[in-house]
Amino acid sequence: MAVVTLDRLTKIYERGHAPAADSVNLEIRHGEFMVLLGPSGCGKTTTLRMIAGLESISSGTLSIDDRIVNGIPAKERDIAMVFQSYALYPHMSVKENLAFGLRRRAVPRDEIERRVAGVAATLGLTPLLDRKPHALSGGQRQRVALGRAIVRDPKVFLFDEPLSNLDAALRVSTRGEISALHRRLGATMIYVTHDQVEAMTMGSRICIMNGGKVVQVGEPLEVYRHPANIFVASFLGNPPMNLMPAVVSDDPGGRALRIGAWSFAVPAERMPPLPPNTNVIFGIRPEKISVAQAGGTHIEAEIVQVEPLGAETIFASRIAGVEKPVFARVGPDVAVKVGERRRLGVDLAAAHVFDADGKALHP
Amino acid sequence: MTKPLKHSLLIILLAGYTAFAAGPFVWVAIMSLRTTSEIMADHFALPTILHWEKFPIAWFNSNYNVYFKNSAMIVLAAVAILTIVGAMAAHCLARYRFRLNRVIYFVLFSTIIFPPQITIISLFQILVQYGLYDTRVGLTLVYVAIQLPLTIYILESFFARIPNDLFDAARIDGYSEWEIFWRVSFPIALPAIATTMILNFILLWNEFLYAVVLITDDANRTLPLGIQRFMGDQLEDVGMIATGLMIAIVPVIIVYAFFSEKLIQGMTAGAVK
Repeated sequence: MAVVTLDRLTKIYERGHAPAADSVNLEIRHGEFMVLLGPSGCGKTTTLRMIAGLESISSGTLSIDDRIVNGIPAKERDIAMVFQSYALYPHMSVKENLAFGLRRRAVPRDEIERRVAGVAATLGLTPLLDRKPHALSGGQRQRVALGRAIVRDPKVFLFDEPLSNLDAALRVSTRGEISALHRRLGATMIYVTHDQVEAMTMGSRICIMNGGKVVQVGEPLEVYRHPANIFVASFLGNPPMNLMPAVVSDDPGGRALRIGAWSFAVPAERMPPLPPNTNVIFGIRPEKISVAQAGGTHIEAEIVQVEPLGAETIFASRIAGVEKPVFARVGPDVAVKVGERRRLGVDLAAAHVFDADGKALHP
Repeated sequence: MTKPLKHSLLIILLAGYTAFAAGPFVWVAIMSLRTTSEIMADHFALPTILHWEKFPIAWFNSNYNVYFKNSAMIVLAAVAILTIVGAMAAHCLARYRFRLNRVIYFVLFSTIIFPPQITIISLFQILVQYGLYDTRVGLTLVYVAIQLPLTIYILESFFARIPNDLFDAARIDGYSEWEIFWRVSFPIALPAIATTMILNFILLWNEFLYAVVLITDDANRTLPLGIQRFMGDQLEDVGMIATGLMIAIVPVIIVYAFFSEKLIQGMTAGAVK
């Protein structure tokens, strides 16, 4: 177990170019499962590789348990890493792959045998110990890669998109296995992914990155429910949050918004009072839109696309004065057809309001 | 076209090609067991008496034991140096980002465009100056120099295909760059390394031009020079040339047979899974 602290950690590959990681501040607590989440090129893998010691640090400090490790090589940081490509040594058997790191650390031979056997039994690899990696399936290779990290019993585990080469079903089960492993070992783990489902289901906390910078850090549901800006709002959730440009109307209270011909008042706990004619961005999650019953806040919309997924139905609709289609997620029994006009109910108690720069506004 | 017809056509084609490729070899093999006067009487006849005694005559009386030993020492040493130095250089050029990496690579590779006739006089001069002319060490170093660019070229392209994650994994596992080369890069690249070893062995075993210019003493001669000894200005001892050729060719066949599987693997190897 270890605390990993990133203090203004920066990586610049080429002078004059934007930093790949830009003043990243983050503290990963003892036994925490921290997920670095973001789109491709957001700097999450660079940050992970700096923690691993595989990339030099341009500026800032990186500490593991209060010891600054900036200049300390990867092998002396007591970390283990699981790679996206598994990175199993193709010329070694599963057993040799598992033991390779221990042999370098002068662990006694019988201790290596015992630890390899233990990890192999835990991960169901015992019958495969003499096989070479090319004779394993994707899922088995992934387990060997996991085993290679576990057998070392490191202070910190690093994962670089370890599930992205697996098929959908295997991804779900391996997700569960990694979460169970975290619970069992109680180790500090840092996990890089661009998949929000992995982040939401596995992370103790999520660190969302964009353009090399940390955008928001928090527990998964907290980040989902209270996005700090429109990037987080639109990155988390599938379909993402509906975002519509709105203007504060001159109704008293300063919380009435106008989107095209549609006017409504946002509850006081969802936005601060603003002067009339202020441009804002109104956000609402798809699951907070329903096909309206009588009463409540509602708006006329034309259904333009319907995706019945079995357990739920997702549809897109056009609202007068809103450029982008508005997505809604409803129950499977709600019948909607492309082309029909429906009244959509909007749960304004779950509304989000952002300023013109995209930053969340809180009352 | 029916399947059996297709099959027979293929067999005929392959048989024709095999005869074309193996014919000269079989002819030399037959001549190696016939005397020169028998060969002069009829070039293509089968031997009436198998003159096996020609082999010990060539081996002991015509100094072939010395030539064979020289060839073996020079070629094996050159191939060993080429393999180790070439693999290390290829690993560095493929793996590490440093200034002038590509410049060094292209300068090395561009040297293969010079035909030996251009470099041989200066090489001769250099060897004389360093006291390496007419020595086995000198010829070994020349062989290393002429084959190194191609060796690096072949190995570099293979090393470059080994995923970087493997090296990162080994680094995290605690291995130094030197250990990573020996314990990860080298074993993974073995098919390509075997390919270059065979190519270098065959090329250098048969090499004549540099040897004939840089070696004069009979005690330092290699096999191709030994075969040349049977070629006079007025007379050629064709029978003994054929026997000498057979002695020279046996190691090549053994090396090829032993490594051919690796050679094919090396030539067809895709990205490492």
